[in-house]
Amino acid sequence: MHGKPHVKVEDLTIAYRGEYVFNGDGFEVEGPGLVTVIGPNGAGKTTLFRAIMGLVKPLRGRVYVNGEDVTGSPGRAGRHIGYVPQLAHVYRGFPLTGRELVELSLRLRGRPPRLHVPRGVRERAERYLRAVGAERFADRPVSRLSGGQLQRILIARALARETPILVMDEPLSAIDPRGKEGIARIIEETARDKLVFVSSHDPIMFLHRSKYLMVVNRGIKGFGSPEKTFRLELLRHAYGGSVYMIEKCIHVFER
Amino acid sequence: MLDPRWVLVVVAAATAFGSLSPVVAARKLYYFASSLPHAALLAAVLGYPLAAELGGDPAVWALAVGVPLSYIVVYLVERGVEEDVATAVFVSFSVASSVAAIYYVLTRYSVGTSLWSLIIGDPLLASWRDAWWAAGVAAGVAGAALLFYREQVVIGVDRDFAATAGLRVVLYDYLVVTALAVAAIGLLKAVGFVVEHVFILLPSAAAVNVSRNSGEALAASILSSLFAGLAGLILGVYLDVAPSAAIGFVLLGVYLASLGVREK
Repeated sequence: MHGKPHVKVEDLTIAYRGEYVFNGDGFEVEGPGLVTVIGPNGAGKTTLFRAIMGLVKPLRGRVYVNGEDVTGSPGRAGRHIGYVPQLAHVYRGFPLTGRELVELSLRLRGRPPRLHVPRGVRERAERYLRAVGAERFADRPVSRLSGGQLQRILIARALARETPILVMDEPLSAIDPRGKEGIARIIEETARDKLVFVSSHDPIMFLHRSKYLMVVNRGIKGFGSPEKTFRLELLRHAYGGSVYMIEKCIHVFER
Repeated sequence: MLDPRWVLVVVAAATAFGSLSPVVAARKLYYFASSLPHAALLAAVLGYPLAAELGGDPAVWALAVGVPLSYIVVYLVERGVEEDVATAVFVSFSVASSVAAIYYVLTRYSVGTSLWSLIIGDPLLASWRDAWWAAGVAAGVAGAALLFYREQVVIGVDRDFAATAGLRVVLYDYLVVTALAVAAIGLLKAVGFVVEHVFILLPSAAAVNVSRNSGEALAASILSSLFAGLAGLILGVYLDVAPSAAIGFVLLGVYLASLGVREK
């Protein structure tokens, strides 16, 4: 068992319909700190996160979180990792308030039937809703929340589980520019105490906040400190020709 | 004067379907749930020859045949088939099979209960045995729906998060399918094949329109279902129309009224 949050991925091999998304890839990282995973659409960022969370069972390879083998086991992974999915993966057609979303996740502990509200659930939910600045709109139905507001609720839900590691899949997608900065700041603050994985199409938003940068495109193309990894040739390897050096600044354009 | 057997049957069916309906909405199972009465009809029809040949109660045989049959959808989804496609395969199989089964039973067996009652349903024909059977089925189904309502909502809203929070989501898939199948098969005689569709789908469709949270949705679904059941029964008796049809029309009215509330 490690004292610091720790994730080790070995020989990761995942294929969909015969096409490899990862083929023998691996990495090891220790927290706290922010690991930003970048890559174009369809590169395998979400697949990598789902493998870390045990939601995808790889053809080959193992995933260890804090020393425990969590390969293909979301229940075991969830004891160490809080998960923030993409907004599009959250169903908003059923009546549920933001506060309920957070409280319900805390009521899942223990064995069924879970008839009683465990002690401290409401207080803990309130604490984390406040921590992400969501207390003002927490009692609105999720169907009436903006993308940024729902994202804060989802981060509060993951934080409330009080795990040492967080995995956030595209937390800035479908959010307006002002909202993006607010969410990025919350993630930066969270990464001071926890190991936080975040994926993004927009590498600039997290670049100066990251301890590690991982470039993914059908495999891990680069992994290390942002200074070493955010290089033109490496990014071109991942993004193809849509990377330009303009006045000594690298710009990445999604095609 | 309303016979207490009619009231018991209608309250049982309304409670069972009213409790399950918000689970159907949360889990986005509208299409699958609306396919279950087809499987229920097949199972109920097969129950008669099985009871005649092997002994026992046709209703018990219907459950024994129909519940495993409904697992086909979960099995196909687990094998990677899209949920809608799996349901379409299931509907095709159960519709074709139920027509074949009805033809077979009508031409080979003397059936004590009219198969028409399974299709149109009539609580006014309920015996005390039917009434207690319906009450037992409803108690089991509503109990399961209420006990695991929160878990089903969490899985419906965000399945991946539910799995990482420690829920064994596949077990809950089987649980919801079992509860729906038991309700559809066990209450088929009471409300009929046609109105089962309405009873499974409309209470939550109306509840979603007027609720802010999951608790309100559950309460609104059960209350609208009970209201429609009892109002439909009274209208059916006093206006001399089929109570099942009256229940269906009242629920439709409840849904249309809920649209008005939502607009406000």
